[in-house]
Order: sequence, then structure tokens, then C-alpha cells
Amino acid sequence: MNKLVFIFLFITQIFLAQNGFEKGNALYQKGEYEAAISAYESVLNGKQQSAEVYFNLGNCYYKLNKVAPAIYNYEKALVFHPNDSEIINNLKFAQKMTIDEIKEVPKVGFAKLLRDFTAIFHYDSWAWIAVSLSTLFLLFFVGYYFSQITLSKRIFFIGMFVLVFLILISVLAAIFEKDHDVNERPAIIFAEVAEVKGEPKASSSDVFVLHEGTKVYIKETLDNWRKVELTDGSEGWMENSALKEVK
Amino acid sequence: MKKFLILFLISFHGLWAQVQFEAKVSKNTLGLNERLRIDFTMNADGDNFSPPSFEGFRIVAGPSQQVSQSWINGRSSFNKSYSYFLLPTQKGTLTIKQAAVEINGQIYKTNPIKINVTAAVPQPRDPNDEPQVSANDAIHLVAEISKGNPYVNEPITVVYKLYFSYNIGITNWRELNKPKYNDFWSQNIDIKQLVAEEGKYNGEKYRCVVLRKTVLYPQKSGRLEIEPLSLDIDVQVPTNRRDFFGRVQMVDDNKRVSAGSKTITVKPLPEAGKPIDFSGAVGKFNFSVTPSKTNLKNGESLDLKVVASGTGNLKLFTLPKPVVPNSLEMYDPVHSEQVQTPLSGMNGRISDSYTIIPQFKGKYPIKPMSFSYFDLSTGRYKTITSPEIMITVMDGPTASSDAVAENNVGTNKMKVTAGEQFRYIKLKTSLEKMHQKDFLGSTLFYVLLFLPLGIIPIIVLLKKKKEAIDGDVVGNKIRLSNKLAKKYLSEAKNQISNKEPFYIALEKALHNFLKAKLNIETSEMSKDKIQEILLSRKAQPETIQSFISLTENCEFARYAPASSVAIQQDFDKAVTVISELEKQIS
Repeated sequence: MNKLVFIFLFITQIFLAQNGFEKGNALYQKGEYEAAISAYESVLNGKQQSAEVYFNLGNCYYKLNKVAPAIYNYEKALVFHPNDSEIINNLKFAQKMTIDEIKEVPKVGFAKLLRDFTAIFHYDSWAWIAVSLSTLFLLFFVGYYFSQITLSKRIFFIGMFVLVFLILISVLAAIFEKDHDVNERPAIIFAEVAEVKGEPKASSSDVFVLHEGTKVYIKETLDNWRKVELTDGSEGWMENSALKEVK
Repeated sequence: MKKFLILFLISFHGLWAQVQFEAKVSKNTLGLNERLRIDFTMNADGDNFSPPSFEGFRIVAGPSQQVSQSWINGRSSFNKSYSYFLLPTQKGTLTIKQAAVEINGQIYKTNPIKINVTAAVPQPRDPNDEPQVSANDAIHLVAEISKGNPYVNEPITVVYKLYFSYNIGITNWRELNKPKYNDFWSQNIDIKQLVAEEGKYNGEKYRCVVLRKTVLYPQKSGRLEIEPLSLDIDVQVPTNRRDFFGRVQMVDDNKRVSAGSKTITVKPLPEAGKPIDFSGAVGKFNFSVTPSKTNLKNGESLDLKVVASGTGNLKLFTLPKPVVPNSLEMYDPVHSEQVQTPLSGMNGRISDSYTIIPQFKGKYPIKPMSFSYFDLSTGRYKTITSPEIMITVMDGPTASSDAVAENNVGTNKMKVTAGEQFRYIKLKTSLEKMHQKDFLGSTLFYVLLFLPLGIIPIIVLLKKKKEAIDGDVVGNKIRLSNKLAKKYLSEAKNQISNKEPFYIALEKALHNFLKAKLNIETSEMSKDKIQEILLSRKAQPETIQSFISLTENCEFARYAPASSVAIQQDFDKAVTVISELEKQIS
């Protein structure tokens, strides 16, 4: 009986969350963006999330000309679906409203190749790939062990080595990708104007000034100061209150 | 001895005849309004007299040369002098430097003379020449300052007025030193024509001329000094003498007047409530930001005009700069000022006009701009914020797509291209829980990853065991018979109500039991043989006997009628015999 109540509660929660999403969509359709935002927020408050919720939130903020929240939500949606063309497209629209122009220094070399390869899948997907390869390895072993024909025995034997190699690659890729995920901490500047200082001190001189909507990467943390790096490689310290971390 | 005395006297005479060139002044201490006479005298005729530069003095008269030669008691004396009349121009200790003259081919110089110039002193005059009115009382220069304690950047005015009595005339005036307004921004207001008005000074009627008007904006706080304006005025003062026609004779006089230095206390602007974007504007202003248009086509430009108008220190602050997105190209502004400066302070308007060219399609916000100024009338800061301006660019390349030159000349067909549009919201979603645990690194992951490797040795072991089992032929037979015995025994139990199948099953069970235990074939199965083998395997004779009787019983019972009780008994008996044989057979 108790379990039934729980299941019922769970279902209603999902239903309500779904409801919030649809309510938001309807409000967006009517052009009531503020109300749509609160509807989508209610979904998030119910500890539910998806790329679409963040994408729609970003659209609402874009329509209200709020640059920083729009970019923040698009970036958050991209965490879930990194290659979604619609999200990337709308993010570009939002980025046009930002004030700072920061060049992206293209990364080159082996590290870039490696990263491009590991970024094909999320690290959990890599983990599943490793598991399925491991199962395949077992099947190959069985095939090798019980096969009577020399040729198929040979094929299975070679296949086993190839599989061990592939398992190693996928496990390493998963670890690399996870490490990258932990170390890469993108953040969006929410303050209208944020001074980036040379040292984590209020009295320190300004290195440069950033405006809202600019994406930075957090490198280090000290009290309420964050060491940030821009896409063009310049670094500095800024106060935590001016930022909002994407992950 | 006498000769020596004469020589001595002669030498003295020679000393007496020595050339002398000296400067004599009428007095060493004099007032600023007094004149000084200086004579450069020599007792021999000299040439090339060069007077010193009379620094700190103005030459009123001179040089006048005077030569006198006299013979007294057969002794001639010569005297030549150059005289100057000097008027000091400043107070303090002044030095008249050396004058030089050439006498008999030699250059002689005077000693420098120090003159102490004190403040003006009253001068005794010839009672007849004594003017009816003193020039001191008749002329006053007054600096009127509109406000003694203004704020920084609050305009104040300084008006210099010259009051002079009706019975004197002014022929000329010169400015001795123009006041310098350090720490002020100053603007002189030109006076085209001096107009004499009626005015009152100390309750007396005077004529009054405004000589100079200046608007000042103090640039720093604290006590600031306004330097005095000094004038040298030539006046005509009436005397007591009358001329032939009985008119009052006028005497030319020279008079210096000074407005005296004034000190004003400038208040700093209050720090409380000072806006961050305050750029020093003080006064009363209007502020507006107007774009020439907000809807643009590709390639069009727009002008953004930032205007501040009103009264205040318009020339002394900078207008805020608009902040635009980076994809709008903004050029440096054109600054224009239309500011008049009357006595009340600057008024008018200043504007910065920015040319903005959008590069890509989209909408771009121009951030609200705020302009803060200090309102003098309320003594508070005020901030005017312009509304946000949204600029929409209708078409043009989008930021993401590279500009591709397409040659569409000669084709009348409309090319339908979706282009890069702002995408609509997504309508479907599959929600997932927040903070899901990572699969990578979880126990399940490790289990699933290493489980297949763990299964491999198990497979190997199983195969080995199977091979071993397959190789053991006798064992397999025994195992099979054992299995069949059990199988038939359980079948017999099932068929306990049906007599015939029961006994068939029971017989088969007993046979298979023997096959398993004694490892013999069905063909060799005879009672004697069974007995023999069982005995050799140390089974007890009674048990063997009951086993044999049971097998016989099975054969008989199939064809003879038997009650269900007998069947049950036979089954129980079979179970007991089998279990006993099991124990006894080694």
C-alpha cells in the first residue's frame, strides 16, 4: 500500500513537471515570456531537467533581451546535447547581443586531435561502450574456445586481442573525458560590468573589464575570488558574485 | 726733510683731484605713491653714460643733464649730472643697479643703491595745488563676487567696478597686472563700450563703470585666492586755483587703485550619494539619447546622438559613452558645442554624435545610458537614465554564415532560402532527474566490465570437467542407471494406483539399481548371478533374499490380482531394500 502511494506521488510529480513544460510552451506561444520563465523554472525546481527546458528558457530570456541568462541557459542545454544545431544557432544569436569581443584562439596539435576524438561520446557512453566490448570479448573467447574450425578459431583469437585494445581505448577515453569534464568549468558573467583584477584583491588594479554574457573558464578558486581564463588565453581574478557556473 | 713734506702734500693734492662718479638718491625709503630723484654726478666730463635699468620703477621724467663749472679762488670745479625721476611700481626692497660712464678712456661705475619702498604715504602738498578732493577718496575699484562659498564647478562671477567722484575726470587707465585665476576655469565677458552709470559707494553718489566681468568655475575645493586687479589711472583733479575765466583749474594726477585680493571658500561636492558614473557635471541638465532610426537594412548606418543641454559647466565634463554589442561597429564621436556664457554661467547644449554601422542581421540592444549631475538648486545628485534602445537589422549576412557571393544576375527566379533564423522553442522533452550518478566509476560499471573476464576461467573449468566426465565410460553407465533407477522409482510412486504400470516401473527401477550398483548388463541378469555378485560385495543374505523375492513378486503381480494395500507394501519394501543394499554394498 505504502509503495502504491509512492508510485502515485512519483507519477504525479512527473506529470506535473511535464505539465510545467507544456504550460511554459503555451505561455511562450502567447508571448508571455516572464510567465513562461516561471513555468519552466517550476520544472527545474522539481529537480527535473532536460536540454529542451534550458533551451526554451534561453529563448524566453533572449526575447526579453536578457543577455546573460539567455547565454547561460543555452550553454546549459549544450551540456546535455553538445551538437544540437538549434541550440548552437540560437546561442549565436544571443552572443551577438554581448558587448565583449573575444577572439577564440584555435587549439592545434595532438591534444586537439585527442580531445576531438574523446568528445565524440559522453564519458558515460564511453563506459557503456567498454562494457559492451568486454561482453563481446567474452563471446569471442567462447567462440575461440569451442570452435572446431581452425580458421574461425584464428579469427576469434585475433578478434580477442583487437577487443582488448578497444576496451583499453574506450576506458582511457572515458577517464580522459571525465577528467576534462571535471576540470573544465565554464561560467557566464552575469554582472553588467565586471572588473578582472591582476590579483585576488579589491585594491588590485584592473587588468581588463568584461561585460555580461561573456563566457569564461574558471581555473582556480580562492575565497570568493575566481581565477578566470578567456577563450583568447588572457587570465585574471574576478569576484564570484559576478559569475554563474554553467555546470 | 722739507722736500718730503712737499711731496707728501702734492700727493694729497693729487688725491683731491681724483675723478668721482656717484649716484645720489633723494631718499632711501619712500612710499609707493612718492617719487624718487636720482642723480648721477661726476666731477669730470664723461661720455657714453649708460643708465641702469630701473627695475621696479617707472621713469617719470628724465634723463636731464646739468653741467656746472666754477672757479673759486683760482680753483676750478666741474660738475656734471644726469637726473631721473622715478616712480616705484612695487613694494619691497628695490635695487638700482650700476650706471657706467667713460671718463678719460676709463670706465667708472656707481655703487648699486638699495631703495626701500613702503606702502603709500600721505603727501603734504602745496595748499594752492591741493586738490579740492583727494584722488584717494575719489576713485575706488571694487571687485564684486557673486558668491563667497560656492561648490566646485558652481559658476561665480567677478565684476570689477570703478567708482569715481563726479568732480574728477579720468583721462586714461591702464591695467597693471591682469588677475590670474589659478584653479578656476574662467571666461571673460567682453565689454564693448564702457558706460558710466550712477552708483553709490559708501552711501555717496559716484559714477560707476564696469570694467571687467568674468565668470569663474572653481576647479578645486578649499580656500582659493582671486588675485587683485590693479589699475594705473590718470585723473584730472580740481585744484583751488581758478583761471582767468574763473574756472577751476584741473591738475593732472596719477592714481593707482587695486581691488584687493579676495578669498573664496569652495565647498567640495558631497560624497554622500555620489553616483558612480558622475563625471563632474554641475548645474541643471536634460539628457537624451536618440538614434536616427532603429530599423535598418543591411549596409545602412545610424547616428546615435547623446545630448546634454541646460545650464552648468557644459564645457567641463565629458558625456557618457554608449555601450554597444561588439557586432555593431561604432566610430569615434563628433563632438559639438553650442554654449553661450552670459554672466549667469554657461548654458546651451553639447552633443556627441556616433555613427554606428551594423554588420550582421539580428537585434542589438544599446544599453541604457545614465548621466549624473549635481543639482545646485537642491544640493543633490540627480541621475537621468535613457531608455534601452533596440536596433533591429532586417537583413544581411548572419554572424555565423560566411559571406558567399552568389551571382544571381540574370535569373528572375526567387531563391527560397531559409537562412539562419532564430529557432522556435522545442515542444517535446524527456525530463530526467537532476544529479544523476555517473555510470563511469560506479560499482555496476566495474562489475559489468570485469564480469566477462571472470566468466572465462569458469567456462574453461566447466569444459575441462565435461571432458573428464565424457572420458569416464563406466562411470557414465553407472550414473545413467542410477538416474534411471531413481526415475522409475518415482514413476512407480506416481502409478501406485495402477497396478500394471506400477510393477513395470518398479521392476525397471530395481534392474537399473542393480546395473548402477553392480555394473552388470541386463543380459547377464539372473537370480544366481545377482546373488553371487551381491554376496561377493558383502551384502547380507536376508536383504538379498528380500530383493530377489521382490523382483519375482513384480513379475507375478503383473498378472495376478493384487490389492492396493499389497502395492503399497511392495513399494515400501522396495524403498527399504534399496536403501539397505546401498548401505551394505561396499
